[in-house]
Amino acid sequence: MELLQELTFIQRGVFAAVLVGLICPLIGVFLLVRRMTIISESLSHVTLTGISAGVLAAQVTVVFQNVNPMYFGAVFALVGSLLIERLRAEYQHFQELAVPIILSAGIGLSAVFISIADRGYNEWFTYLFGSIVSVTLDDLQFMIITAAVVLAVLLFFFKELLAVSFDPEFAGVSGISTGRVNALFAVLIALTIAMSMKVVGILLVGALVTLPAAAAFRLAKSFRQNLILSVLFGQISVLTGVYTSYHLNVATGGTIVMTAVLLLIAAHGIEFMLTRRNNQRSDVHET
Amino acid sequence: MIEAFFRFDFLQYALFTGLMIGFLAPVLGVFLVVKRMSLIADALSHITLTGIAFHMLLARYNPTIAAVTPLYLGLAFSVSGALFIEWLRRMYTSFKELAIPIVLSGGIGLGVVFISLADGFTTDLFNYLFGSVVAVTIQDVRLIAIITIVVTVLLTLFYKELFYLSFDEEHAAVAGLPRQWLHLLFIVMVALVITASMRIVGILLVSALMSLPVAAAMQWAKSFKQMFVYAVLIGEVSVVTGLIFAFQLDWSAGGTIVLVAVGLLLLSMAGRRLLTKVAVQMNNRRTTSVE
Repeated sequence: MELLQELTFIQRGVFAAVLVGLICPLIGVFLLVRRMTIISESLSHVTLTGISAGVLAAQVTVVFQNVNPMYFGAVFALVGSLLIERLRAEYQHFQELAVPIILSAGIGLSAVFISIADRGYNEWFTYLFGSIVSVTLDDLQFMIITAAVVLAVLLFFFKELLAVSFDPEFAGVSGISTGRVNALFAVLIALTIAMSMKVVGILLVGALVTLPAAAAFRLAKSFRQNLILSVLFGQISVLTGVYTSYHLNVATGGTIVMTAVLLLIAAHGIEFMLTRRNNQRSDVHET
Repeated sequence: MIEAFFRFDFLQYALFTGLMIGFLAPVLGVFLVVKRMSLIADALSHITLTGIAFHMLLARYNPTIAAVTPLYLGLAFSVSGALFIEWLRRMYTSFKELAIPIVLSGGIGLGVVFISLADGFTTDLFNYLFGSVVAVTIQDVRLIAIITIVVTVLLTLFYKELFYLSFDEEHAAVAGLPRQWLHLLFIVMVALVITASMRIVGILLVSALMSLPVAAAMQWAKSFKQMFVYAVLIGEVSVVTGLIFAFQLDWSAGGTIVLVAVGLLLLSMAGRRLLTKVAVQMNNRRTTSVE
């Protein structure tokens, strides 16, 4: 902890970015195989509700005055993830409605909170689009703890998560409690989103979850490769993003996501070339 | 309140545009929900933000562009985004649902880069994100009125085709409907409506106006037609009540409208559950008395 205190604000920012670039793509791969990538989008919007509620609470009450709004964000994301599971049961025939409902309710509520709290716009823009220089020591500690928790849970329950993600029915038959694993996973997503928010911003968390995983998916031949590649892509995006954002004076979240987009396009290009070469090779074999 | 309404032009503009989008958004929302595509509204609204950010960037260097409403560029971006999503869906055949998150996040990322290049982290941007009643200009009202007319005409002309396509895509294709064209037409209509709604409810809340009233209407409607009627009714009630509350309490207009819609959805869900419970009890009583 003492080491952390000696970091300058830029070092803190880069450290935070590296953490986010590790955790987000990992969760992204699981979400991708479960076909639930969009859930990160709606949970991030609910996190915004939590943060605006936190800011408002700090303004109105004395008790919450010194509480970091990020904790509120994390709590709201947790509640939101559980609510989505509930709504999916309610609208069984239209499961995909659950996500838009939570997303819209979350944003609507936060818009109202923001207009009541009446703080300057700039503070909200840091939450919306991320700002690496505003990572405080408190934020960094929160991020390290959540990242450690997420990693530990992923390691301990790797097999269960994998089984439930790929074949829920089989997992259920072989004695894994699907409901419990799903709830655990919902908690993981919520934590991931809450921790990444300071770096990439609420509107861009979804991107860092989805894009590296999608790029890795084009090239990987196994699930393990998928995990490794997507973390690699995540790290490249985060570091390149931070570097270019510093030199071009552009919002960090934007450059990180644009790098991830470029990586996705590159992955598509490589995949295309590989398949073409394979086809040519098989043509040669045939003749 | 009423006096203020007649005194301030912007309140009248807000009410007119509010009424128009309270009709348009739920109507298209019904199709979106039935086609299981309600998320596309989110993706397109985020791309609209990219277009608006691009307009900000251009306006910074070119004063003639600054005079035009950014809605046009927003519209252009969201239509091309719609086409791009369709292309991606064909690319990722086995993971179709990836197309939306990819476009959504790419769009926002590009938008943020544009915004920071334009130095645009201002009140203006905030109004685009969360909507604003004050920001509606007469130019916007005109554009939104034109969009309303175009979309309504297209919907009445192609109602049967769209209906058919929404419920039984394969059958419709076999019957010889130009599926791709109709789909394209529909997506372009969604893009138009998103652009129209953006001023009042804001980019982040447009999709709410397309999905919440429809989800509430689903609890009551017994037919597709009824779903339209209920959805539009709930949409209009949300918009008007939301605008009034927002004005009185000085809250964000988009947020208040959406909260009213959420409230109506919760009421519908609770009301429906109550009704089924009552119906079940009545049934039980009847069967026991027969016994």
